[in-house]
Amino acid sequence: MQVKETKPFRAIHLWVALIFLANFFGCFSVRAATIEVKPGPNALVNAILNAQPGDQLQLLSGIYSGKLVINKTLMITGQSGTIIRGDGAGHVITVSAPNVTIQSLTIENSGDQLSTEDSGIFLTKESTNSLIRNNFLRNNLIGIYLKGSENVVIRNNIISGRQYQRVNNRGNGVQIWNAPGAIIEDNKIEYGRDGIFVTTSHHNIFRNNHMTNLRYAIHYMYTHHSEVSGNLSTNNHIAYALMFSDYLKVNDNVSINDRDRGVLLNFVNYSNITNNRVQGIALQQINHPNVEESHITEKCIFFYNSNMNTVENNHFNGCEIGIHFTAGSQDNHIFGNAFINNRTQVKYVGTRHLEWSSEKRGNYWSDHPAFDLDDDNIADQSYRPNDLTDQLIWRHPIAKLLLNSPAMQVLRWAQSEFPGLHPGGIKDSFPLMTIPAQMDSVDG
Amino acid sequence: MTNKKDHDESAEQTGITRRELLGGSVASAAVVGVGALAGAAGTAALMPGVAHASSSDNKAEVAPGDLDDYYGFWSSGQAGELRILGIPSMRELMRVPVFNRCSASGWGQTNESLKVLTDGLLPETKKFLESRGGTWDNGDLHHPHMSFTDGTYDGRYLFMNDKANTRVARVRCDVMKCDKIIEIPNASDIHGLRPQKYPRTGYVFANGEHRVPIPNDGSILDEPEKYHAIFTAIDGDKMEVAWQVMVDGNLDNCDADYQGLYAFSTCYNSEEGVTLAEMTANEQDWAIVFDIKRIEAAVKQGKFKKINGVPVVDGRKGSPYTRYIPVSNSPHGCNTAPDGRHVVINGKLSPTVSVIDVTKLPDLFNDKIKPRDAIVAEPELGLGPLHTAFDNKGNAYTTLFLDSQAVKWNIEKAIQAYQGKDVNPILHKVDVHYQPGHNHTSMGETKEADGKWLVSLNKFSKDRYINVGPMKPENEQLIDITGKKMKVVHDGPTYAEPHDCIIVRADIVNPNSIWDSMDPMWSDAIEQAKKDGVKLTKDSKIIRDGKKVRVYMTSAAPMFSMEKFTVKQGDEVTVYVSNQDKIDDLAHGFTIANYGVAMEVGPNATSSVTFTADRPGVHWFYCQWFCHALHMEMRGRMLVEPA
Repeated sequence: MQVKETKPFRAIHLWVALIFLANFFGCFSVRAATIEVKPGPNALVNAILNAQPGDQLQLLSGIYSGKLVINKTLMITGQSGTIIRGDGAGHVITVSAPNVTIQSLTIENSGDQLSTEDSGIFLTKESTNSLIRNNFLRNNLIGIYLKGSENVVIRNNIISGRQYQRVNNRGNGVQIWNAPGAIIEDNKIEYGRDGIFVTTSHHNIFRNNHMTNLRYAIHYMYTHHSEVSGNLSTNNHIAYALMFSDYLKVNDNVSINDRDRGVLLNFVNYSNITNNRVQGIALQQINHPNVEESHITEKCIFFYNSNMNTVENNHFNGCEIGIHFTAGSQDNHIFGNAFINNRTQVKYVGTRHLEWSSEKRGNYWSDHPAFDLDDDNIADQSYRPNDLTDQLIWRHPIAKLLLNSPAMQVLRWAQSEFPGLHPGGIKDSFPLMTIPAQMDSVDG
Repeated sequence: MTNKKDHDESAEQTGITRRELLGGSVASAAVVGVGALAGAAGTAALMPGVAHASSSDNKAEVAPGDLDDYYGFWSSGQAGELRILGIPSMRELMRVPVFNRCSASGWGQTNESLKVLTDGLLPETKKFLESRGGTWDNGDLHHPHMSFTDGTYDGRYLFMNDKANTRVARVRCDVMKCDKIIEIPNASDIHGLRPQKYPRTGYVFANGEHRVPIPNDGSILDEPEKYHAIFTAIDGDKMEVAWQVMVDGNLDNCDADYQGLYAFSTCYNSEEGVTLAEMTANEQDWAIVFDIKRIEAAVKQGKFKKINGVPVVDGRKGSPYTRYIPVSNSPHGCNTAPDGRHVVINGKLSPTVSVIDVTKLPDLFNDKIKPRDAIVAEPELGLGPLHTAFDNKGNAYTTLFLDSQAVKWNIEKAIQAYQGKDVNPILHKVDVHYQPGHNHTSMGETKEADGKWLVSLNKFSKDRYINVGPMKPENEQLIDITGKKMKVVHDGPTYAEPHDCIIVRADIVNPNSIWDSMDPMWSDAIEQAKKDGVKLTKDSKIIRDGKKVRVYMTSAAPMFSMEKFTVKQGDEVTVYVSNQDKIDDLAHGFTIANYGVAMEVGPNATSSVTFTADRPGVHWFYCQWFCHALHMEMRGRMLVEPA
């Protein structure tokens, strides 16, 4: 199947171009002044007060007091050693004007109240088309909060949360509410609650971010027509928790050593899940908090009540369960994927019969002991992950101990001779003999 | 791309079903044989045919002729009725009409039910309904809960909410019929509802979920900042509003403590928004704690506004009557543990639950600690925690809506983990099918929680049953919780749409088998009969009172005491039927053909119905609840003379 570039993707390119144009004119069409600011009492506050919209403030190295409110279109640029330091209450910087650029700053020490959403940078709905880039945000409750502002770009920042607090009391690296057109790319986010938390938004792009040591790398609710691509998640509880959203492009993401799930799809529909890779936690690497006897990533992908999606060319490797597919998920196209060395390759809970191949091309299954006598890279025997043995394992996990026993193999053989012992199941009529190659996008 | 058919192959298309090939027992036997071949231990556990091979004596199967150990009282959501199930069999035993119009029993048509349905309505609503048949026909019944004495169920009453038309109803457990319904003034859409647990019920606490203007008369419209949410305490004995509290935010679910001092509500809309986006904007919402003693004192001292006839105390932020404890975005369920000490606030959009320790609340109300200091544990349980139930061993069972699981966790361990100890409070997770909302354990909301059964009320059944068309049943799963691990032992399909249930030990519930002939349910009939000089239980008489005609008859299988009665076209006719069969399960009915009249007449009960006889002719009335071998013959004629 050809994966076509979808319309939203093109549209987003257009927006990016428009934003650059807007910045271009913002800088040069008005007679913008460049003002150098030196550290001092109220130096920055006064500079902002006296600046004209369109001015550029160049902040020399040193410490500036936070609780700034940027309420006019300004470009604020730091240099090595330029620190905006909050006083431990409220936001360090509030942006409430459009077309603001904040770049090359260290921003630290916000308040600690989740109820007031204390943030390193808090962008109100007036701050449309702003650009936040090349900053280092540390020791803030919430790193950057987009609260209702449209078309903001957050690029190439390092956001480091409060490792010393309880996870629940930490804030998110980037939090987004109702901010259509947001582009979050090339950031590194660590030690917060969730890396990027989004709810009730649309047309967002989260691209090429690295998220590590968080609860969820991306926590995603009710955000249609958006893209999650090229991200890397390591050492989080869940990498990509995508929920209640339609028309997503979820491509080229990587999850390594995440605890519970690589990809979680819950009521994600009409979406394209392509070329992603989940590498489960190696045995014994951490104490698994959920299932006492288990020490590897619980599920590479949890596919729950998600419909009309294309799932192609993904690698699911080394999890307790390769794919948990349930809740009547229907009309999905699942082919060209590789399921490698998962303890249970497929946990299918349902009573329908599903075929996981497309145009005579199925998936690679590392546990499929089949021949390919005609050498067409398609196994001569179809693969039924949900044969009676899998059903047994689903109902009686202890049976796993016997998986490679002669008894189970006899059972598997019997199953292949007499299919249909149970209602419903997955069948791959065209299993691949080799692991399909993925495009290299993110370094693991 | 291939078409849908290639992907969703139906069972027919495979051409083979499991029954055709191998019966379940044959397959099981094969597995046992193979297991033995492998020389593995625990072959019994491998048998798919064995539904519950747990070591405990907790048996889900109740054989024909055997009785259940528990009553399950089930809500029915938008169906508007209360249902009674046997637990663990999950057999549906009875439906009790409450907010709905019931064809079988005549609820919503009989004079007795109309009195219950209309007496407690506000004057303005009565007026509104005048042109709409005089009563509501629909309700949205979410939360049925039994009255308490000293922290456990006492078998007197069941209380339940109507979210659709802002009402609270009471069902008498001696006869399992609704005897009171009141409309709650000032509030809009009663959602969460729980009875006071101690010393007794006492109060019934009810949450007004949606914010509205007070009064809601059109003088304020699109000014959401002027809307309010109202918490109500109802006197459960009198079924009258005792007092109300105006709060910030909105009110979702609620519960009461085991000390009789505090009540709790969750709030998912602290933003006070009116759109979905606005309601999800805040990083944190809160749980509200109500100080019952302070509120009572304020009411006594006159520190309230009387609005629509009831005292309303101002409990918005900063008041002495309430405290607002911040919890992550959009908490939902609110459940007090049987230990009498801990209250679990379920995170919904946060994968955590927050545990409040009630012993910290006096300090919170005296401003010695901050609101968040009342929280002693906040375990991350999984995605979408909605409701929590409890056993008798300090464990909690939380539904995970998004993970579609029940998670068993230990409260004490969660507290230790919160204090920084390296312990894992999560004991086990089990998949449920699909997407659980409420759950409940046997006796789990009382101090007598017994740790036997958990019911998970799942919102979707999807492909769990043979297909019945686009509308599918809900799926309620029974889970054995006596072992270390939870075990799903039964799937129970239900129609629209149980939200919540309770599971009550059978010895607590002792309904009568037949009615007392003087039951207050038909006190109006008794009074009218007295005025008419009629003895309800004996006489067959027609009283003509101008255009009003009262027909008194009795029924004893297989006969009505009147084989015919005659009225004039245009008469307002009231028929009283008193069932003289004082025998278990001998209900009669009274249906008049082509007149839209049908009612139930329980053993030894009186029912009455009033209608206008504006259709002349011969109209047979008959008994529609099977009663006798000559049931078909149990009929008579209403003769309507043309005017």
